[in-house]
Parts: sequence; C-alpha cells; structure tokens
Amino acid sequence: MREKSILADLKVSIGKELFENPVWVASGTFGYGTEAPELVDVDRLGAIVTKSITRHPREGNPPPRIVETPSGMINSIGLANIGVEKYIKDLLPIYEGLSTKVIMNIAGTDIQEYVEIIEMMESVSSVLIGYEINISCPNVKKGGMEFGVDCDMTATLTEKLRDITERLIIMKLSPNVSDIASIGVSAENAGADAVSAINTVVGMSINAKTGMSDIYTNYGGLSGPAIKPVGLAAVHKLHQKLEIPIIGIGGIVSGEDTAEYMLAGATAVQVGTANFRNPGITENIIDSLTLYLNESNRSSVTELIGKVHTYS
Amino acid sequence: MIIERAQIITNRKLAKDIWKMKFDTPKIAKDVKGAGQFIEILTTDHWQHPLRRPMSIASFGEGVVSIIYKLFGESTLRLSQKRPGDFLELLGPLGNTFSEWNNDSYPILIGGGVGLAPILNLKYACDHHNIEHTMIIGAKNAEEHFIRNEPNNQIFLTTDDGSIGEKGTVMGPLERIALSNTNVTIYACGPTAMLKVIKSFALDHNIQAQLSVESYMGCGVGLCQGCAIHRKNSTINERSYHEKFSLVCVDGPVYDAREIYFG
Repeated sequence: MREKSILADLKVSIGKELFENPVWVASGTFGYGTEAPELVDVDRLGAIVTKSITRHPREGNPPPRIVETPSGMINSIGLANIGVEKYIKDLLPIYEGLSTKVIMNIAGTDIQEYVEIIEMMESVSSVLIGYEINISCPNVKKGGMEFGVDCDMTATLTEKLRDITERLIIMKLSPNVSDIASIGVSAENAGADAVSAINTVVGMSINAKTGMSDIYTNYGGLSGPAIKPVGLAAVHKLHQKLEIPIIGIGGIVSGEDTAEYMLAGATAVQVGTANFRNPGITENIIDSLTLYLNESNRSSVTELIGKVHTYS
Repeated sequence: MIIERAQIITNRKLAKDIWKMKFDTPKIAKDVKGAGQFIEILTTDHWQHPLRRPMSIASFGEGVVSIIYKLFGESTLRLSQKRPGDFLELLGPLGNTFSEWNNDSYPILIGGGVGLAPILNLKYACDHHNIEHTMIIGAKNAEEHFIRNEPNNQIFLTTDDGSIGEKGTVMGPLERIALSNTNVTIYACGPTAMLKVIKSFALDHNIQAQLSVESYMGCGVGLCQGCAIHRKNSTINERSYHEKFSLVCVDGPVYDAREIYFG
C-alpha cells in the first residue's frame, strides 16, 4: 500500500518547461491575471494564459456580447485588448513579481501581425515562458479562424514563429474544422511545442419572446460544460496522432474534469468559463485533483495522460 | 470583493412579481461603500446555469444586505422559492456608487420597475443625513407598486394606466419638480428606455444626472468583458481599458449621463 499521507506529484512538463501543476487558466477568461487578486492566489496556478493581444489595441464588438445558454454561454467579445505596447509597459513588470508561469496569448489578422508581435516581445526582457497562438477565434471577421481551418496556413505561421523565438509555442486549435488532428499534425511538424484544444464552438442564441438574436454579431463562441464532450473528443483524436503535448480546454469545472481530459491525452488543462462563476475556482480544482489522485492511488498526475480505457 | 456563503433571513413578495430577499452576510455588508453597488448571486450549485445573477443592493448595514428582484425567468423563480435559513453564495460588493451629493443641490431620486433597489438605498442615505429630496417611482400599474404614494412627503408614484399616483411616466413629476427648482441633481435607475429619456431631459436642461444602467453581465469583476456599454469619451477610463466601450461591472453601474450612449 502506498503511504496515503504523501500527496501526489502534480508536476508536468511541456517542452523545456516544468509546471508545478497542470491546471492553468484559459486566455480571455482571466483578464491579464491582475483583475481579481482578492479572489484567487494566481501563484497556485500551473500557469496563466493572458488575454489575446493584437499588435494594436482593439475595442472589441458592440454589446450584447454574452448570453448564458444551457450549461454554457456564448461570447462575442471580439478580442478587445490593450495592444502590445501597453502589455509590455503595464503588465510585464507585474508578471515579474509572480511565481506562476505566464504565457501570452497572441492573435493577428495576418502572418505579419503575429511575427511583429513576437519580435516586439522578444526584443524586451520578460518572464514570459511562451506564447499561445490564437488561430481559432470565431469572433473576428478577418484572420484568426482562417489560419485555424487550414493545414498549410497553420504550418507556415508556426514555422515563421519558430524561427524567431526559443520560448514555448502553443498553437490553439479550433473545434470548428472537419479534422482537428490534421491541423495539429501540421503544427507539430512545423515546430510547435504543444497544441491547446479547443477554442470555443461556433454557436447562436435566439430569444423566442422577442424574436431577437441574443448576440450583436449573431454568432459567437460557445463555452462551458456544454462543450466538454467536444473538447474531450478533440484531445483524444489529437493524442492518437501527435507526439507533442496537448493542453485540454473546454468546460472544465472540477478535478475530475481535469482527470478526464488527461485520460483523453492532455498533459495540462486550461479552465475558462468556470472563472466567470468563481475567479478562484482553479484553486478548488487543484485541491480536488490532488484528492482524486490520492484516492485512485496514483503518485503522479502524469500517470493519467492518455490512459483512458477504450472499447477498441 | 469577496465570495461569502450567506444565510437568507427573509424572502418575501412585495408586489406583483417583485420580491425582497435579506441576507446575513457580515463580510460583504461590511465592505459596501454606498448606494449603487451590487452583488452577484449564485442561484444554483448546478452547472446548468454557469453564471451568477447581478442584483442591486437595496439596503445594507449591521451584517445584512438586501436585494429587490423581479421574477423574470428561471433563475429569479428559483430565488423566490428559497426559504429563510437557506444559503446562497454571494460575490460582492461590486461596482461603483452614486457620487456624494453636494449640499447646494436638491436630489431627485427616480426608480423605474425593479430599478427601484439602489434608489431606495439612496433614499435611506438621504433620510439618514437629513437631506431633503424627492423620490419618483414609476411602474406599469398599481399592482407593481409597494411604496405609498405620498406627494406631501415628496414621494410620487406614476403608473402607465393611472391605477395609482399620476398617470404616465416618471417624466411628468420629474419635469415639474426639476424645472421649478434652480439646482437639482437626478439619480436614476431603471429600464434603458426610461434612462434614455431622462438623459436627454437632463442634457437639454443642463441638469446633473447620475444613471445606474442595466447590462447583461457575466463575471461582475472585469474578466469576461461581456457587460460593455457605449461610452462617450475616454475620460472615465478606469479598469476596463477601453475608450469606446466601458465595462458596467467595473466602471459602472453608475455613470454621469453625459458619459454614456444608449444604443
């Protein structure tokens, strides 16, 4: 019998980076990490992935931007963000003081924009350990999604970025494609350190009483527990084809959800919509994941990765 | 702001579809800075409804916070079924407050529908500080009112059908009182349609007005960026980073009438 009082090891590695635990917060669901210090100890998190940054500030989409849907919500924020200069000036100094790892999420409308942002980031010193590349946002008219649905574009973008940074490159994949694994393979072959999946699922919400669409842009991104099965399937498919680590995203609200994603093949997870209900929920998730591991007699969280029992 | 599991002290119907709930919530009550702030309520532990519901604080003090809510959908129906002794998880206090009044200016408090909550809160503050004021409350009909029409005490009710108080909207008494005083400040909360009319009245007559706005809200703390409202300029940019939009949860819900646009 294993000694019960010893807590399971939560450490996971991706590329050259070692993370204290596999529970991260997803881009766009945790602001820039500085919004709710009273409600969450960010230093307990495996990593924070900051809100998508574009080359220049973006105001985002007009309201209404969000609506709750059964077991989820639809958002169409439109990548509202402060732009790179302000990120460097205002936020990098704050990240110096954190002991958690910080990953910057980047969005662009063409390859040049992504390249320019990373060049700017690489020209200053920072504690960032990597970049998550948003090639899958459903809420901007131009760019974003176009990369995420095309293997060649994904490969070209990944290669260009690989040339200019040694930091982790994580390509964030869209579920709104016919074959997510082939996009993942393109990213891997082009030098990505990891992929994260899934971004939100395209959705719509209509109010029968008023006959109105609930979201200004009509279509938005569905997130929350409603999309967990979609995320699990995507991670499982990617795990069959990829050597590089997969970061699972989609409807995670508990330690058990985290375990399920890891069994499907994820090395780490990102918690998204659940932060909107409780910005400190990731701390509960880390605690309940530890409990799950101890109760299932596992000494390391890595024992879960890809170990789902399947029928075939 | 904190998350507190609060015990319900009372939960009762005030008028047609309008309820009041009182919480024993010492930590949040201690933190409330004034009228205008709100709390986010987790109406169920199930994830079928992932988001909390924002509710204006109607009164606070001595460890207690109360809200007034209108039965609107499944979540508010669930709230109405809660009993004294039950617990609900609250996040708060959130948002800003109506600004301090200045002594030279006569306050006119206006509440429309369930927008009454922060206005009542403000009225308690006026009463507490012995500040003379007028309160105007609008509703569709008498069934929705739970305050007494007391024109002699400067409390005016209006109804669309004239079933109690003055027939018409809050604009009737507002125009009369605002234009017969030299220096007034309007404090209003209610449906967007009402705030829109009050805003243009205030601007036309160069009257100060503070409006507490409604917005579909997610997290309540600036993370989701969902509760954007059109803003007029960048002078009130606080935490939401935007110039064209403002996040009601962190910059609001109370705005100077000149600073916002209603779509």
